[in-house]
Order: sequence, then C-alpha cells, then structure tokens
Amino acid sequence: MIDPLQMLVTITVIALATFATRALPFICFGSREPPAILSVIEKNLPPMILLLLVIYCLKDVQWLTAPYGVPELFTICIVAGLHLWKRNAMLSIFTGTALYMVLVQFNIFSFL
Amino acid sequence: MIRDRENERKAGERNEDLFISALKTTIPVLLGYIPLGMAFGFLLVGAGYHWIYAFLMSLFVYAGSGQFLAVAFLAAGAGLTEFVIATLLLNLRHAFYGLSLLEKFSGVGRVKPYLIFALTDETYALLTTTDVPQASSKSRFYFYIAALDHFYWISGSVLGAVLGSMLKINLEGMSFVLTALFVVLTIEQYFSSEARFPFIAALGAGAFSLIIFSPDNMLLASIILGTLILMAREKSMQKAQRTQIVLGARENSQTRKENRLINSAVQPLEDKRKEKS
Repeated sequence: MIDPLQMLVTITVIALATFATRALPFICFGSREPPAILSVIEKNLPPMILLLLVIYCLKDVQWLTAPYGVPELFTICIVAGLHLWKRNAMLSIFTGTALYMVLVQFNIFSFL
Repeated sequence: MIRDRENERKAGERNEDLFISALKTTIPVLLGYIPLGMAFGFLLVGAGYHWIYAFLMSLFVYAGSGQFLAVAFLAAGAGLTEFVIATLLLNLRHAFYGLSLLEKFSGVGRVKPYLIFALTDETYALLTTTDVPQASSKSRFYFYIAALDHFYWISGSVLGAVLGSMLKINLEGMSFVLTALFVVLTIEQYFSSEARFPFIAALGAGAFSLIIFSPDNMLLASIILGTLILMAREKSMQKAQRTQIVLGARENSQTRKENRLINSAVQPLEDKRKEKS
C-alpha cells in the first residue's frame, strides 16, 4: 500500500506516459510531411492492426490443454460466418458473445 | 431572427441524430468496457485502494491493459521508473495507431488533443472503420465516439470498484464481445480496402508473436513485425517498379537512335512499330 500523495503521483506519471505514446506521431509529423514510405504504410496499417487485435484476443488461450481453444475458435468462426452472411454487425457481435458466454459458463466443450 | 432559430433547431436535431448514430456505433464497446472496467475496479479495490482511484485512473489514464498492469505493479510495490518504462512499452502500439490517423485527424479542430488522448484499441478500431454520416461534422462524430467509449470505461470501473464483490453476476465470457467486435471490423476492412497483403502480414506476424513472445508483449511485437513486413514489401515493390521504368527508358532511347538512322527511309515501318508499342 502506498499513501494518497504517492498514488496521485503514480497516476499522473502513468497518465502522462500513456498520453505521450498516443501523441508521439502527431508531434513528430504535425508540421512536416511524414516520409513517403510511412504514408503508404498508413493505408495498410488499419487492416493489419485489426486482424492483429483479433489474434491478440487469443493471447491467453491455452492451446495445449483442454479445451484447446476450441470455444474461442468455434465462436470466431460463427461470428465471421454470420457476418459474411448477413453483414449485420450487431447481430454477429451479440450472437457470438452470447454463444461464447454459454460455452464457457456451462463448460460445453468439457468432453474434449 | 426566426430563420436563425429555425436553423439552430435543425442543427440541434442533426447533432442529436449524430449522437444517436455514434451511440449505436459504440454499443459493442459499451458491452465490452463495462465488464472489463468492472474487472479493473474489482482488482484495484481488492488490492486495498479507495474506489476514487479507479475513477481517477479511468478518467486520466484511460488505457485498459495499462491500468491492469498498474494494479499488478501497485500490488508488487514497483517504483516509478518501472511504471514509466512498462507503460511506455505497453502503450507504444498507440503510436502506430496515430500514424494511420494523421490524415483523418487533420482538420478536426479543437477536439484533436482529446481524440489523441482517448485513442484506445477499441476507439481506434471504430474510427478507422466507421464512415461519418453524410452531411455531418467529422470532428463532432469522432468526439462523440471517443467520449462515449471513455464514459463507458469510467462507468464500468467505478461500478466495479464501488460494488466490489457485493455483486454476484456471472460475467465470465462477456469480454468476448471485444473479440467479436474486432472480427467484424476486420471483415468490414476486408470489404472496404482492396489491399490483401496486410491480412497476410498480420497472420504471419500474429502467429509468430503468439508463439514466441509472452502474452503481455505479443501485441506490440506483432505490430512492429507486421509493419516491418509491410515496409519491406513496399520497398521491394518500389524497386521492381523502378527497374521497369529504367528498362522502359533504355528501350526508349534505343528506339530514338534507331529512329534517327532509319528516319526518312522506312517511315511506314516505323509507324507500324509505334502502333505496336
């Protein structure tokens, strides 16, 4: 436990460090043009990062012990399939989440 | 005077519509941030801190994984330097987010500092994928999305901290809403962008980082790796293009020399060749 003053200092420091990482590109390239290679990259970054975020969501999955990430992969396939079929974001997201909650709370894949 | 008021009323209605459409856009984030924020609140209070700190952190730091890390560090009694280094490393990925938003954020006016401050994974994903409704203000729409997400996060963490362990709702698995959101947004990106290589780069970099790096480091590592792959490919494509241009130029100069030689003599033949090229 640290005292309130220390806690406030810590929070301030974390807040500044976080803001610094977010502001960095805007500070660097606020007044001058970013190098050509970066402007080409920046178009391709969002699709790459979004897919990386999907993969990142699987970072804590234990692939080598039961249920071997099956609930996660299964639900992702359902979400993707549903979305490719209906193109309705709300429907895909909520069906997927509800399904996943049922799968893990009732341990549906416990037979694996 | 009357017309002014009429215009004002219309503008007010438009803003309301814009707010509602931002609200709709952010619903998945609401459902993700409330349980996630609550988990953070539980943890911080569980570590022995007053709920007001959960509020302050969510208000001023506003970084999901960063705040979880902070709780762990507080519990471990880490020093300030460790906080700074770990936070910088953990959140460095946000620098890459900003890089792809330079253009989008130019001309959003005075909300820009706030938009930069509030650039979380989820807000980034929404801002890069959602189109601004027609005939409405980009800065206002972006601000609504960012502020709503921020509000959800603060509400969740305060709720979790205040209620502590009194609540016995089983929220297990609900954070999957964020995974589902990212899956849907990835598919939308697939349809809206013609580039296919970024997805290949992401699969490669992601799978590799998942295996090699620890869960805490994998996101930043995979983003750096993926960006390097994109840059390498861009470089090699530029090189290929340059080679083609150089080859083309050489051909041209040769043609010109030949032309001079055969200039007047075989005019019809020359014409034919021009047609071909």
